[in-house]
Amino acid sequence: MTNTLPDGNSPLIDCRSVWKVFGQRSEAAIKAITERGLGKSEVLKEFSCVVGVADVSLTLNKGEIFCIMGLSGSGKSTLIRLFNRLIEPSLGQIFVCGKDVAKLNAQDLRATRARDIGMVFQNVALLPNRTVLENAAFGLEVQKVEKERRLETAKKALTTVGLADWVNRFPNELSGGMQQRVGLARAIASDPDIILMDEPFSALDPLIRRQLQDEFRELSKTLGKSAIFITHDLDEAIRIGDRIAIMKDGAIIQVGTAEDIILNPADGYVADFVAGISRLHLVKAHSVMHPVAAFTAARPDLDVSRFSRTSPEADVDELIHIFLDGGQDGVAVLDDGAVVGVVTPRSLLQGVKGKEPGEATAF
Amino acid sequence: MDIQDLTSAVDEGIDNGLDWISSNAGGFFDAVRLVLETFYNGIAWLLQAPPFLVIVAVIALLGWRAVSLRFGIAAAVGLVFCALIGLWPETMATLALVIAASVLALLFAIPVGILAGFSPRLNAVLTPILDMIQTLPPYIYLLPAIALLGFGPATALVATVVVAIPPALRLTAHGIRLTPRNFLELGEASGITPGQMFVKIRLPFAMSSIMTGVNQCLMMAFGMVVIAGIVGSGGLGAAIYDAIRTLNIGKSIDAGIAIVILTMILDRITEGAAKDRREAK
Repeated sequence: MTNTLPDGNSPLIDCRSVWKVFGQRSEAAIKAITERGLGKSEVLKEFSCVVGVADVSLTLNKGEIFCIMGLSGSGKSTLIRLFNRLIEPSLGQIFVCGKDVAKLNAQDLRATRARDIGMVFQNVALLPNRTVLENAAFGLEVQKVEKERRLETAKKALTTVGLADWVNRFPNELSGGMQQRVGLARAIASDPDIILMDEPFSALDPLIRRQLQDEFRELSKTLGKSAIFITHDLDEAIRIGDRIAIMKDGAIIQVGTAEDIILNPADGYVADFVAGISRLHLVKAHSVMHPVAAFTAARPDLDVSRFSRTSPEADVDELIHIFLDGGQDGVAVLDDGAVVGVVTPRSLLQGVKGKEPGEATAF
Repeated sequence: MDIQDLTSAVDEGIDNGLDWISSNAGGFFDAVRLVLETFYNGIAWLLQAPPFLVIVAVIALLGWRAVSLRFGIAAAVGLVFCALIGLWPETMATLALVIAASVLALLFAIPVGILAGFSPRLNAVLTPILDMIQTLPPYIYLLPAIALLGFGPATALVATVVVAIPPALRLTAHGIRLTPRNFLELGEASGITPGQMFVKIRLPFAMSSIMTGVNQCLMMAFGMVVIAGIVGSGGLGAAIYDAIRTLNIGKSIDAGIAIVILTMILDRITEGAAKDRREAK
């Protein structure tokens, strides 16, 4: 166990083969899992214990927003509570900022929760008898920061989330979206490295939700925060997350960028999820293009050098615009000044539709 | 027959026990009596020493702050009425007894209620005891009290305290148990200490229930101090008891009206204080 703060490369949260088993015979169940390698359903049958989290390993890197997407009952809310030990893991190790959280004593655990990890809840949990400002200062108050300083810091945090004019109001005077901003201000007022977001926007109406998603992403990037973001909404995960983990029955079944997951779903379950997702801004030129050599071999009649040019990061939406403007047979994809590939109308359509596994790129 | 013998044997045992306690621990109970009477007399002196208009003004002001201006004026008018019918000293004596009994009852009920809110086991032990206290006829408490403490306000005080404790204790425990789970989780996730959790999260949520408990405690005390007129509580209770003994119906109605006025004033003021807290939420 190391106690030093992680450098730029080591992850802020490092979660290694973590299990959480609920039930009276959970210890016996854990023993069976380690010794006999039992799975979730066998544990339920043999020990009548519910496996909340099954063998989850993941890392949160500095500056990253990591979304965990799963339906209700998938164990995502249990998982996020393991990171700040609101729930004790049954098995496995979790390192937060280099510290093994399971080994922290009560005082160190409080310090870690107060300074390293902020948390935002779905139900916000604003204290009704306190003003917005006092609510935002709650974390600092718990840390016994003197009153003047904590109110000043809280006011800054509220200004950051756009609530400077509401500091002296009471929570019940605020709309749901505003209340959730106060929750966020409360979490960032203590200046933690990590923010745990437990379905914070799920109860908001769609327009406000999208606005807050964008604001949250921008805010955490400007402040250099890292976040674990729990959601049951894949659109939200795609909008916010740098990386996305799909969770089902307590286990993580796929981790990757939005594009990875959309283009290469790990199984039918994930494929069903991504089926309804618009690919316009997710699929990029580099994944729908033909390598330049293959293209020139197949279509020697076309001159690649006369095509419009774009970058490998151009999304499908941009590519469609280029085709609509130019009316050509292809778009050249340039990386570092050299043509690396060509997107044709057919390969673009295939990218929009979604390629079946093993299907070749069409010319 | 056997059972009747047994019953009278048990009754006799209790009587002998009480006799034994009062003759052997007489010094102790004299001391308890002295402390209780000093406490009662202190509060009574505070209420009876100033000119009656000062007290009326203070209560009217409280009524205004806690409820409304109209209620403040109504309270003042009611109290002046008590003075006009010649029952001012008795009204204040009763108020002193109610306040003394409620303070003592709350000093016990609130801390124990808090513990019961945290400990389901303590709560399980207390619940049947509280049930018993609340279902037995309140006269019962006068007898052991009079046996140990004699005739006078100390006895009335003890019997009243016993009756006033259960509602305050139950409502305090209920308030502590009421803390929403998500706020406990917020506290935990913020790195809160157990002491801070109690002061900053549990207590504010419990406050309105505790204030309702205080209100109920006062109401029970009012009911009991009148009954306690029979053991020499003094005040309006004694006035009513005297009126009953001499079949002086007019006087008993006067004293009854004074009781009603005083009860309504205290009820509305403490209820107003409880409501204030709810509205702040």
